[in-house]
Amino acid sequence: MSVNRQLEIDLEAFGLDSIKRAAYRFSDRFAFDIALAGTTAHCTLIFPESDSSSSIDAKIAAFRKELLDQDLRSSIRAETEHVRNLILAEAFSRTGLVSDEPLQGD
Amino acid sequence: MSRFKEIEKFQAPPQGGYQLLPFRFTALEPEVYVATNLAGEYHLLRSDALCALVHHELSPRSADFIDLRAKHFVTDSRSNVSTDLLALKVRTRYRTLAEFTALHIFVVTLRCEHSCPYCQVSRQTQDRAAFDMTRETADKALNFVFRSPSTNIKIEFQGGEPLLNFEIIQYIVTAAEQRNLSKRRNLRFVIATNLAEATEDILRFCADHSIDISTSLDGPQDLHNQNRPRPGRNSHQKAVEGISLARRVVGRDRVSALMTTTAKSLDRVKDIIDEYVRLEFPGIFLRPLSPYGFAVKTNAIAAYSVVRWLEFYKEGLEYILHLNRLNIPFREFYASVILRKMLTSEPSGFVDLVSPAGIGIKAIVYNYDGVVYASDESRMLAEMGDMTFRLGQLATDTYEQVMLCDNLLGPIEASMTTSVPMCDECAFEPYCGADPVYHHAVYGDVVGRKPESAFCARNMGIFRYLITKMRDEPTTKQLFMRWANS
Amino acid sequence: MLELSGKLKQLSGLSTTSPPSLLRVVTTPALPKVLARDAAYLCQSAEIPVGFRIYMALESNREFLESVPSGERRAVLPDSASFLREGDIMRVSPSSGSYRVVFRSHSNHVSILLTERCNHYCLMCSQPPREVNDDWIMNEVENLLPMIPIHTREIGFTGGEPTLYGDRFIRLLECTKTYLPRTAVHVLSNGRIFSDLTFSEAYAAVKHPDLMIGIPLYSDDPVRHNYVVQADGAFDETIQGIINLKRLKQRVELRVVLHLQTIDRLTNLAEFITRNLLFVDQVALMGLEITGFTRGNLDKLWIDPYDYRDTLGRAVDILSAYKIPTAVYNHQLCVVPEGVRRFCTRSISDWKNEYLPVCSSCALRGRCGGFFSSGVRYRHSDHVQPITTA
Repeated sequence: MSVNRQLEIDLEAFGLDSIKRAAYRFSDRFAFDIALAGTTAHCTLIFPESDSSSSIDAKIAAFRKELLDQDLRSSIRAETEHVRNLILAEAFSRTGLVSDEPLQGD
Repeated sequence: MSRFKEIEKFQAPPQGGYQLLPFRFTALEPEVYVATNLAGEYHLLRSDALCALVHHELSPRSADFIDLRAKHFVTDSRSNVSTDLLALKVRTRYRTLAEFTALHIFVVTLRCEHSCPYCQVSRQTQDRAAFDMTRETADKALNFVFRSPSTNIKIEFQGGEPLLNFEIIQYIVTAAEQRNLSKRRNLRFVIATNLAEATEDILRFCADHSIDISTSLDGPQDLHNQNRPRPGRNSHQKAVEGISLARRVVGRDRVSALMTTTAKSLDRVKDIIDEYVRLEFPGIFLRPLSPYGFAVKTNAIAAYSVVRWLEFYKEGLEYILHLNRLNIPFREFYASVILRKMLTSEPSGFVDLVSPAGIGIKAIVYNYDGVVYASDESRMLAEMGDMTFRLGQLATDTYEQVMLCDNLLGPIEASMTTSVPMCDECAFEPYCGADPVYHHAVYGDVVGRKPESAFCARNMGIFRYLITKMRDEPTTKQLFMRWANS
Repeated sequence: MLELSGKLKQLSGLSTTSPPSLLRVVTTPALPKVLARDAAYLCQSAEIPVGFRIYMALESNREFLESVPSGERRAVLPDSASFLREGDIMRVSPSSGSYRVVFRSHSNHVSILLTERCNHYCLMCSQPPREVNDDWIMNEVENLLPMIPIHTREIGFTGGEPTLYGDRFIRLLECTKTYLPRTAVHVLSNGRIFSDLTFSEAYAAVKHPDLMIGIPLYSDDPVRHNYVVQADGAFDETIQGIINLKRLKQRVELRVVLHLQTIDRLTNLAEFITRNLLFVDQVALMGLEITGFTRGNLDKLWIDPYDYRDTLGRAVDILSAYKIPTAVYNHQLCVVPEGVRRFCTRSISDWKNEYLPVCSSCALRGRCGGFFSSGVRYRHSDHVQPITTA
C-alpha cells in the first residue's frame, strides 16, 4: 500500500504552473494528485510503499525547495520574455550588419 | 590630478536598478546553482545570491553583480551591448543548422566474420547477393548525399564489416569524387572497420583517397577478445596489427579507435585507457552502455546502470587527468564535446548530443538494401523489428519524400529540448541534446520522462562533474579549455 | 633614450616667419645637385659640398660650418642629435628655432603622431591630450609620406585619437596605400568611431593590403573600462566598433595595458574575449610606460610586474588555449613566468629602449626587450635579475 501525504499550497504564493513543474520533476520519487479549491491547491503526494518515514520527509522538504526554485524561474521567465525574443530574432535575422557570414573562424 | 574622475562617477548609483537577461538555473550541489545565459555561458551562484538577484536586491556595486553583468546575465544603464553580444553568440552556436546533413553513412554489407554479442545487425554468411549494397543502390544514395546543401560532406562506410565489400567502397569513393568535381564540397571519407580483412592494397587505396580509418578497440586483449569473438579468437591481435599497418600505409593521424562499453568494461576502465595509451592513441571516447540488446525493463536497473556507469566514467576521467599531469597529452572525447559547448559558442559537430536531434538533419543512414534510416540506432531498432525510424526506400522514394516524412519530422519536433518538460528550464540544456531514438527504444516515446531517463541522469552527472572539477581545480580548467578548442 | 626633438643652438639664413619644412638628412657629399637642393647636409668635416638647402653640424663640431659660404642656410644642432643618419627626415621650425626628427631610417619602429587631441583621458596616457587645433600635423604627414623610403617595412599612426580626423584619416590611409604600397600599417585607436557603420565601411573600402588597428580594451566590466579611459559610454562604442570592423573583415588587435586597475580582472577579461571577441586577430598584453599621466597617477596604477606574474600567466594560458595569437609587450623576461617568455617580444621603440647594468650578465639579454627609458629612470620591477641558463 502506498503512503499518501497532503500538502496545501497557497496559489497566491505559487502559481499553478510552478506547482506542476515541480511535481513533474519529482515524478520519479512520488506520484501527484491536485485539486483546486479557490486560492488553495490541495495536493496529494503518493509515495511507494518501500519509502521510510524519514525518506518521505526528505522528499517533501526537497519538493518545497523546488517550489521556491520554480517560483524564481517563473519570475525570470516573465521579466525576460520580451528581451529573449528580441535577442533570438536578432540572432536569426538576415538583416542587420553588412554581412551574413559568421565572425568566427576564417 | 583634479581632472581625473573617481570610479564612482562611472558606476551606477548604489540603489541603481537593473534588468534580468534570460537565464536558467539548476542545482549543482546543496546551496550552489549553475546558471546559464542565453548563449550557454555558465556562472555559479549561491542560493542566497540567486534569490537576491531575481528579486532585484543585488547591489550593482557588488562583486557578484559585476561578474553577472560582464557575463550577460543582467544589464543596467552602464552598458547596452549585452543583447548584441548575446545575439552574436547564439547565432554562432546555431550557425551550422542550415548546413543540414553532413554525415552520410553507407552500410555496404551486413556480412561479418566477427560475432560480437552486442551487435544487432551482422550476418555470418557468404551470401553476397542478399546482404551487399549494389551499385544501383549506391548511385541513388549518392544522389541523396549531394542533395544536402552542406559544405562539408563526410561519407562513412559501415557494416557488418565494410571491407568485405571493398569493391563497392571503391566504386562509391570514385563516384563521389567524380561528382564532387562540380559540386566542390569539402568531401571526406571514413571506414569503420575491425581491420581483420585489411590488406596493404586496400589500405593503399585508402591512402590514395585520404580515407580515414575508424576501428574497434574495446580494451586489453582479454577484454577485447571476450567482447568480440571471431574464428581464431584473435580479434585483438588482428586489430593491433591492422592499426600498425594502417598507420604506416594510410597515416598515423588517420587511424582512430572506438570502444564499446559492456558490463565487463565497467571494472576495467584504467586497463582500457592504458591499452589506448600503449597504442599511442591521442584519446578515448568513454561510451555509455548501449541499451540496444539489453531489455531495460525497470527503473531500478536503469538507475543502477547509470550510477555504475558514472563511476566508470569518473574513474576513467580521473585517470586521464592524472596522465596529463604526467605530461602525457590524452583526451576524453565525450568530455571534449561537452566542454566545447560549455566553454565556447562554437557549433558542435557531434550528432548524438544536439537539439534539434541530429537524426536525418545532421546524419543519415543508407542501408545495403536501399532502406534509409534516421540514424545507426534506428537501423538497429529495425533489425529488432521496430520500424519507427525507417524513413524510406532509395529505389522508390524521392529525396523530399524521405526527408519530409513524419517518421523523421515528428520526432525531431516533439523532442526539441527547448520545448519539453524539465529540459526547457534546465540550465544544462545548451550542453545537452535530444535523443528521440534512445527514448523511444527504452521508454516507448521520443521524449521520455526526464526524471526517469537514464540519458538525462547520465548527462547531468557528467555536466555537474565537469563543472565541479573546473571550479575546484584551476589546472584542470586550463586543460579543459584546450580540450574544448582542439 | 634619444632626444628626437630640441632647440637649434643657432639658425641663420632663414627668416623666423618661414613656415616649418621637412628636410631629408644627407651625409653623402657627392649627392647630385638635383637632390641636394631639397636636403639638409650634416657636416662630417670642414669640407662643404655645394648645392644643399641647409647645412647642419652638431654643437661639438660647429666649427665645420665656418667653411659654409655666407648667404647659405646654417643650423647648429645639440650634441644629443648625434644619432642622426643619412635618410632621416626632420622638421625645422624657424619661428620657434626648434627641430623634430619625424622619421629615422634605421629605426625598428616608425611611429607617426597624427594629433594630440583625444576623446579619452586615460589614467596612464603616455601622450597626454591637448585640446588644440593641430591640423597642421596632418598637412605635414601628407607631405611626409612620399618622402618615406618605399621599402620601409612598417609604419604606425598614433595620437591622441587619429580617427578624430574622420574622412581625412581615411584619405590618409589611401595615400599611405599609394605612396607606400608594400608597407604594413598599424593604427592605434580607441575604435569608438567604428561604431558608426558608414565610417567602418569607408575604412574597409580603402582595401589596404596590410592594415591592422590596435584597440585598447581594459576590462570585461564596462564601468572599469570607462573609468580607466575616463569616458562614459566608451566600452559600448569600442565593442561595437570592434564588431563592425570584424564584420568587414578588417584586422583588429586588442591591447591591454597591465596595471593596478586592469590586473584584478585580467583573467575575467581574457575569458570575456574568448567568449565574445574570439574573432580578433591578436591580443597584446602590455607593460606600463612611466611617462605622461602615469607618473601623476602612479599610486592608482603601479604594481610590480613580478607580483602579477601568475595572473599574467593564467591570462596567456586562457588566450592561447583558445588559439588567439597573443603577445606580451614591454615586460622583461626575468619578471614573467617561464611559460610566458615565448610570448614576449622586443616591442620597445629603439629610441626609448634601455637595459639596467645588472642585465649585462643575463643569459637571455639578447632575446629580452629590456625597459622603457622612463622605466629605468622612474620605476621598474624590484625583481630584475639576470637569468643563468639552466
